[in-house]
Amino acid sequence: MAIALSEISRKIADLDNIPTVPALLVPLLKRLGEPAENVSMTEIVNLISYDKSLTAQCLHMANSPLLGMRKRVETVQGAVMALGMTRVREVATTCCLLKALPSRPGALKPNDLWKHSLAVALVSREFAKRVGYHDPEQAYLAGLLHDLGLIVELTTFPKEFEAVTRSAVEKRCPLHEAEPDVLGVDHCVIGKMLGERWHLPSELKEVIRRHHDVDHATTAADLVSIVNLTDILCRMRGLGYGFEELRQVDLAEEPAWKHIAGLPKMRDFDLARFTLELDTYIEEIERLVTSLFNMA
Amino acid sequence: MPSTDAMFPARTPLVQSPNGSGVVAFDSYLYQIRDLIYQIAGILQPDHRLEFLEKRCQRRMAIAGVASLRDYYDFLTRSANRTQELTELLNEITIGETFFFRNLPQIEALRKVILPAIVENKKRFPFSKLRVWSAGCSTGEEAYTLAILFLEESAGMLKNLKFEVLATDLNERSLEKARAGVYGDYATRNLSAYLRQKYFNPEGNLLAVKDTVKSIVQFSRVNLLDDSKMMFMKNMDVVFCCNVMIYFDGAARKKVVQHYYNNLLPKSYLFLGHSESLFGINQQFRLVHFPGATAYYKSEPGGGV
Repeated sequence: MAIALSEISRKIADLDNIPTVPALLVPLLKRLGEPAENVSMTEIVNLISYDKSLTAQCLHMANSPLLGMRKRVETVQGAVMALGMTRVREVATTCCLLKALPSRPGALKPNDLWKHSLAVALVSREFAKRVGYHDPEQAYLAGLLHDLGLIVELTTFPKEFEAVTRSAVEKRCPLHEAEPDVLGVDHCVIGKMLGERWHLPSELKEVIRRHHDVDHATTAADLVSIVNLTDILCRMRGLGYGFEELRQVDLAEEPAWKHIAGLPKMRDFDLARFTLELDTYIEEIERLVTSLFNMA
Repeated sequence: MPSTDAMFPARTPLVQSPNGSGVVAFDSYLYQIRDLIYQIAGILQPDHRLEFLEKRCQRRMAIAGVASLRDYYDFLTRSANRTQELTELLNEITIGETFFFRNLPQIEALRKVILPAIVENKKRFPFSKLRVWSAGCSTGEEAYTLAILFLEESAGMLKNLKFEVLATDLNERSLEKARAGVYGDYATRNLSAYLRQKYFNPEGNLLAVKDTVKSIVQFSRVNLLDDSKMMFMKNMDVVFCCNVMIYFDGAARKKVVQHYYNNLLPKSYLFLGHSESLFGINQQFRLVHFPGATAYYKSEPGGGV
């Protein structure tokens, strides 16, 4: 019962009119390719401040130990001063994306999906730093948005997506392996379509399109690979989609590994230690996600 | 700030300090001590265990008569007794780590992913046996856990396959206790009522392992550094070596791990303690991930990578 691409495309166009998508999200996403300094701070601060609950969530996230702040911030302007525009833009994008999720629970809970996206964002940034990738902030955004297609599926094809999730849970396999049978495509293709519509920067579109198919990346193969490996790692450490995939993973044998083998710090990169350090991350992410969901 | 002459520069913590949501800022020397332990013993206390590490350090500091973490770090790196003190600290950190079904993700990985693959593999070799080794078995909880796991699968997945658990330790007193197989509340806290009833006999307030379980486990005294003895531990499918390597220096660890590698069959596994790593110790084993657990995998004979 595959769905025609034209049908998917039409539904994606309708997404622009979904009231739950915060007004800020699309303008934010459209300008992700620009350096943060070019984005008007007043504009962003104003747009965040319009929305009371978005403001509260952004401030809560800005104050999370995951962001490494020394002092508590009480206002959006204060957050910009303390964290810088780049981080605030990330926080705002993250919180907007949270709001765009439907609240209807199915076999896959929306908060598990969002938790996974946030985890891959944070861990990608850290991973990028550890292996010497030049732009860890870009890795954060790439991680955050990599599963954009799943959000589309959850929102526009809830019935089919439910079938996908059930089948993946039953087989204990990754979602993208269960998708083609039900949808005819996977979330990578669907996510890319939305990415086009929202004019995302080309590296981010490539991550969305190729994060399960690294060898076919035509640009930004190192970024795509970082997100691919982080995605797998998060799914193996309890930050997946709310169910465990029963399998053995050798990250160094994944095709992505050879795409990052040349990064400056790869020689000294200690994956075992990084994995252990993630346990602390997991606790903090759980805590942040729970409180943000309670604020929604 | 940490002194610049520190032996190992402390790494920035993943989760950074404080503002009230659960994470506390620690003395920078605590991070140094954490990294020292990792560099020397391969055991990592992640950020959420730093409070625990601090308490253990304080306990040792009281005994050693050292006032600050800074002084204790100096003591651990510069004093004539530093090796012995580090062993004492490691003892404090790993103490009480042994009870039945302690590392559940590890056990689940073994039961759900590894055993099915091993069983499938062994079909090609009739008369072969599943051999698992609990190296540094201490008082036997891990070895008996494995035996119970195999017994539970003996009518299903392990039907038609013989299996045994070899359990070795250097300490004769621990081995005596292991052979006796009588355990208190702490060791048995993770056991379900079903498993207690099926595999244990009550002895007053204690639980005694039944003979059906004992018959699968063979305890013996082995020094892991004794080459001649290590040569005889052949044809292993899985080795568990949890919180043992911390007692060896770098060269000895390399040697022990090489013995494990040589003694393992192709497509077999080495499990370490929850926070241990082989980074910088061995490059033949491959680090693999299972849900919530990691293991070291020997892929092919001769260790083709």
